[in-house]
Amino acid sequence: MKQYDAIVIGGGHNGLVTAAYLARAGKSVLVLERQPRVGGAAVTEEIFPGFKFTMFSYVVSLLRPEIIRDLDLPRHGLHILPLESTVTPMENGDYLVAWGDHDETRRELYRHSPRDAEAYDEYGRLMHFMAQAVKPIIGMVPPDPTSFAPGDLAGLLKLGKHFRGLGGERLHALVKLMTMSSADFLDEWFETDVLKATKSASGIIGTFLGPRSPGTAYVLLHHYMGELDGVFRAWGFAKGGTGAVSESIASAARSFGAEIRCDAGVSKVLVRNGRATGVVLENGDELRAKTVVSSLDPRRTFLQLLESSDLPSDFVQDIKRFKFRGSSGKVNLALDSLPSFTCMPGVGRQHRGAFSISPSLDYVERAYDDAKYGEFSRRPYMDIVFPSMIDPAMAPPGKHVMSIFVQYAPYKLNGGWTDAKREAFGDAVVNTVESFAPGFKSKILHRQVITPLDIEKITGLSEGNIFAGELALHQLFFLRPAPGWAKFATPVHGFYQAGSGTHPGGGIMGASGRLAAMRILKDGA
Amino acid sequence: MNYDAIVIGAGANGLTTAHYLARAGKRVLVVEQHQTADPSADIGWVPDAVIRDLGLAGAGLQIETPDPWITAPLPAGGTLELSRHIDRSSEAIRRISPGDAAKWPDFCRRMRTLASVLERLYVVPPPDIETNDVRELARIAGLGLYVRRLGKQTVIDLARILPMSIAELLDDWFESDVLKGLLGALGIWHLKQGPRSGGTSFNFLHHHVGCAAGVFRPARSNVTQALCKVPGVEIRRGARARVLAKNGKATGVVLEQSGETIQAPLVVSSAPPRATLLPLAIELYPDFARDVSNIRARGVVARGTLALEQAPEYATFCIAPSLDYLERAYDDAKYGKDSTAPYVEVQRTDGRVEVHVQFVPLGAHDGLADRVAQLLKVRPNQVALQPAEESLYHGELTLDQILFMRPVPGWSRYRTPIEGLYLCGSGTHPGGGIPGAAGRNAAREIL
Repeated sequence: MKQYDAIVIGGGHNGLVTAAYLARAGKSVLVLERQPRVGGAAVTEEIFPGFKFTMFSYVVSLLRPEIIRDLDLPRHGLHILPLESTVTPMENGDYLVAWGDHDETRRELYRHSPRDAEAYDEYGRLMHFMAQAVKPIIGMVPPDPTSFAPGDLAGLLKLGKHFRGLGGERLHALVKLMTMSSADFLDEWFETDVLKATKSASGIIGTFLGPRSPGTAYVLLHHYMGELDGVFRAWGFAKGGTGAVSESIASAARSFGAEIRCDAGVSKVLVRNGRATGVVLENGDELRAKTVVSSLDPRRTFLQLLESSDLPSDFVQDIKRFKFRGSSGKVNLALDSLPSFTCMPGVGRQHRGAFSISPSLDYVERAYDDAKYGEFSRRPYMDIVFPSMIDPAMAPPGKHVMSIFVQYAPYKLNGGWTDAKREAFGDAVVNTVESFAPGFKSKILHRQVITPLDIEKITGLSEGNIFAGELALHQLFFLRPAPGWAKFATPVHGFYQAGSGTHPGGGIMGASGRLAAMRILKDGA
Repeated sequence: MNYDAIVIGAGANGLTTAHYLARAGKRVLVVEQHQTADPSADIGWVPDAVIRDLGLAGAGLQIETPDPWITAPLPAGGTLELSRHIDRSSEAIRRISPGDAAKWPDFCRRMRTLASVLERLYVVPPPDIETNDVRELARIAGLGLYVRRLGKQTVIDLARILPMSIAELLDDWFESDVLKGLLGALGIWHLKQGPRSGGTSFNFLHHHVGCAAGVFRPARSNVTQALCKVPGVEIRRGARARVLAKNGKATGVVLEQSGETIQAPLVVSSAPPRATLLPLAIELYPDFARDVSNIRARGVVARGTLALEQAPEYATFCIAPSLDYLERAYDDAKYGKDSTAPYVEVQRTDGRVEVHVQFVPLGAHDGLADRVAQLLKVRPNQVALQPAEESLYHGELTLDQILFMRPVPGWSRYRTPIEGLYLCGSGTHPGGGIPGAAGRNAAREIL
């Protein structure tokens, strides 16, 4: 029987990144993916004939530049097209828009508040700087503050030095970003409600928190790490959809010699004498490897793939306590033609950017209130893009696809999710869009509604959490996914974790996968 | 009469600073805006050092240690009473949840350890993380070492629990709504946050300092009255003072009604930082003034008294039947309204019956007394409430407004950009609910 140097469980972007780095280092690598295609939550599918959708994750900007460079992804088909604007329709018929052009955005802000227009550049500079300041941490293996090992002490010291090197003012800003709510943080800068609402929306994505909940300012920063110059939302859209990102990483991995097998779900990791020796597939086949890597989320990695007898009991408790609470849904629509929004009538360049349904802080907060008590938002926060406007190949000529990211849709809905509840949720989404773009509903040809339960069923992400575990302060850095086990190794020798449920987590970033590969290679696997 | 120092405010912190300064040989005048002393109880841990240094035991200091320390109604009738004895509380909890009863001793022990770390941080000035001073760095390293000596679990607990919401923390441990409600209420004390907001676990632990293990309500005392009885400082009441400064230096105060000026080279204010500093700083130090105006100090609590025919049997009666109840109370406040169903706590101290009502944000308070009366099953005219327009802690105790961030980042050592002007109130480290701690720390910095 062939023995691989490494088997990677899960062909999402992190698993593929790990596989590519290991293969690049000369290891024989096998990737096992449960679905018929690679990508995990970063897939493109033709759901309705002629209409292609990036089913879940829909925008790209966090993918680490060193990964793009190391794996030479553009050569493997990665092509990112800019998403240039964000329009926020307001309930009074006005709008707020951030264009790709800085001066134009400034003029627009000036229209709402001269004071905010002045503050905007300074804010952008600060966030840009803070994102830069946090980036070295993203690329670092978290030191364990409870350990007295020289490596950990050195890591802590390095961290302390790095933070002190920022200087007082920026260090204080970092403390604020780590602890405040995005609404409170933005209140210190701006007075225009719709601006604060739209900005704060980045702080709630993937969380079970509202814009006034402390901890959301950090998520705001997390999303800023992708912005190119800190002033614009430099989000991009991958040509061919997000699936093309996964495909390009898979292609890179293959070019280094990695083998990728789809329709190959793993049911168990084989452990003998505290050491991983291989995996058992769902069809019963056994495969051997010196190293086994799971890119699944922590709950499935430790509570499903392993027996709890393989793990220390307090570690099992920590993993059981790790919070997932999925809160996002997705509605994918095939359109006969593009909708016209009341605030900016007609069809034009605004459709090449995003529409943010976040007319006021109270609006977004109320959307959260519904979810807090177990209901989907009656009037949800939405981030809308028209991928076919950026990449025409996504829809038949003249037709369009519309991707709506929706919050909140709690995984634990009162009474549970049913087909009827799913459609009611879809109706709430469509009706809310209709209120900002009358006539929109009549343009819908097909509709796909995805609840957190669907996300869990299709991608395997526990509770449908898009970050493979909430990005809460107590689940970050050396606590992600559990204290003492945040360095990609696990209590089982030869078994590693590489998914977004490890540091730094979340978004199509690939950093976890890369750091895991580094760790595995360092351990001499 | 010449003074070496003028202290603004005759509350616990102002008086503590005044006495420490007086003991160092300074002639001190305390000016207080109210004509009569506030008769209400002081709530919170009075650090032992303050009691010892100022001889408060001899000045009639009384710290109440009621047992049971809390009484909460049960939905099926009857009450849950928690005792100062952990075992006795476990017995009481067992009647509503055997699982919770089993976890109670361990929970009490873990929370006590974490609070002891805060106690250590609270009786000294906050760590100055920007410093290059070797002694200060050694002190910070010493604090770090102290925490690590408490064990791995404590380090992890501190990192995990402080930023958590109190709802997540309590859900990790318990199932009983009543138990979680009465504990969760402490997590939102004086905060414009609900129990599901991050950082409320810190607020919970903040109010656990100085308590015995298993007691989750701060002590009540008459420390301000005791401080008034200690000789050595002159107190002038009914005089609202404003700080005078010239060429960036404090020169004294002016009394607003009479216009009288009193000179002194040292002015220490226990008033809210914003009120003290904004009039002085806005032109001279715009960045500092911006930080000061950004202090979040939103009033959410109404305190008052309850006129009862006879003293109640309980020491503390808590209406916070579940975490969801508290969260919904907060929801109203988010949108600027008084809680439809507020969190209400009745506190009996030395025969006086006081009441704490939350959330009561800025605005009109239609029907508030009626709703409180209904919850307490008394007549509305028995309830007298004073909603606070600003946080009674002079700055909310959120994670971005504590330690070296309090009152504003970079100015946490009781100093201000104005030479000779210091702060010593709740708005400074360690914040509200610990009478005398900020006052003592400030005095030591000044001296």
